[in-house]
Amino acid sequence: MASKPGSGKPDSRKPNPAPVGPTKIDGPRLVQPWAPRRLRQVAAVLAGLYVFAVWLDAAGNGAADAALPLPLRFFVQEAALFPHAARDVIEWRAEAWFCDGERFAELDVRPYFPIRRDDKESRFYRAMFFHLHQRKVLAELDRFIAREQNRTHPEARIGGVMLLSLRIPIPPPGTPETRYQRLPLADYPPSVERHYWYVTDKAQREQRCADLAAGNPTAEPPAPSESP
Amino acid sequence: MRRPTQPQTPLERLQRWFEAPQPIERLELIRIVAPLVLLAFLSSRLVHADHWLSPVGFRVPYLGGHDWRQPLYLPPVSPAVAWLVAIATALAGLCLSAGLLTRFAAGAFAILLAYLALADRLEAFTVSKLGPMIALALWLSPCGARYSLDAWFRRRRHPEAAPPTHVAGGVIRYFQIFLAAMYSGAGIAKLRGDWLSGDVLWSHLHDNYQTAISWFLVRSVPGWGWQALQYLSLTFEVAAPLWFLLPWTRRPAVVVALSMHAMIGLMFGPVIWFALLMSTLLVGCYAPERWLRRAFRADPAA
Repeated sequence: MASKPGSGKPDSRKPNPAPVGPTKIDGPRLVQPWAPRRLRQVAAVLAGLYVFAVWLDAAGNGAADAALPLPLRFFVQEAALFPHAARDVIEWRAEAWFCDGERFAELDVRPYFPIRRDDKESRFYRAMFFHLHQRKVLAELDRFIAREQNRTHPEARIGGVMLLSLRIPIPPPGTPETRYQRLPLADYPPSVERHYWYVTDKAQREQRCADLAAGNPTAEPPAPSESP
Repeated sequence: MRRPTQPQTPLERLQRWFEAPQPIERLELIRIVAPLVLLAFLSSRLVHADHWLSPVGFRVPYLGGHDWRQPLYLPPVSPAVAWLVAIATALAGLCLSAGLLTRFAAGAFAILLAYLALADRLEAFTVSKLGPMIALALWLSPCGARYSLDAWFRRRRHPEAAPPTHVAGGVIRYFQIFLAAMYSGAGIAKLRGDWLSGDVLWSHLHDNYQTAISWFLVRSVPGWGWQALQYLSLTFEVAAPLWFLLPWTRRPAVVVALSMHAMIGLMFGPVIWFALLMSTLLVGCYAPERWLRRAFRADPAA
């Protein structure tokens, strides 16, 4: 790009070709884009449409939603950040059915979701946030947690899970409060509302525990891998 | 080069404005810093590439192809491929930042970032969506013409060639317009949301994004202070195109925007990468030329 001025290839279809190397313009030396003029024109139009779609989407106009296929729409949904106040702090948790004790108890699932495991960018938080109403995803989450727990902690095998949210009230502005810390489920007061979104079927829990006791941890078939 | 004639029509004036040469430091600053910020954002994911992209970690199953939560279903890859993707992404980003094989690196980085954004919705955030767009724009631009390893090698081959000082304006104008539109859209979304009457800022300071600084501010800023900050953000964002268009409001707008991003970055934990990315674009696009030349120690007489 920084070759001698005027050394660029002429575009036979354009009367005023753009040189490739630095060009002297009243002192400054200009480096021209490598892309052909036609490509730059197309890119400029697409860039303009993209910016307009980003703006429209954030402004609440549904035109971009209606016009763009899902994979492209995804890339324009990026400007409307934090438009609403949070009503409560949401914590996502899991309780597991321990085969030995035949009871539910809290299970810390963070080791099985090591990417940003301690904040709400954790895959567990994100999966619950996006898919709390989609049983298919929650069932897959159940299978994954059971698989990882039974693989890494054979002494504390589980047959299933309960996936739940906690709604921790946010105090009014200016109220003194303690710093955020993750607490065990048992330490939250009754004022913290719990909502159970998924529970492994009793029969499935018992079947898993029986399979594990028989030394056959992979008896359950893997999740069906439907693909487009 | 022929001295340009006075533009006649509004379209010609717009085209002249769009193509007006810009200091090359604007483009090179974005080329150097933005990939590093993107890689820093990705780093906590790249080090767990197998958990991210392969069946080692949790994967959302195929949801039928019509679900906004899964804009495109890309099946998981093997752990070995996941690690290869991670290494290739890191290399492409580092090469782009260093200006080594710049054009190839920018193209590869754009493709890999787009793949990573679509491959797994659970790890896709605003930064993930901005990344491919920025890398694609850099690929189309002549970035790396200066302050890069490519330029250094070229200088060794042709020591008589003076380094370029300006770049055709298109890509910088694009980033400038994008920023103004992004802020404006964000401001309108906030107006339509709770920012006029609700305690939005306050309400987002209590979860596991909380930092030591946000906790300090929670205890020390009075209730009306949060509302005042909301109004300031709204005023800046909704009218951002105007603030950036007018020469006498441009510099205060840059300062307000950088302060806003500094607060976001310091108060909301991992959102710091979004704040840094936007700040990079902001400085590259709108910082006074003198500041940029000083940062690059460029000769103002060149």
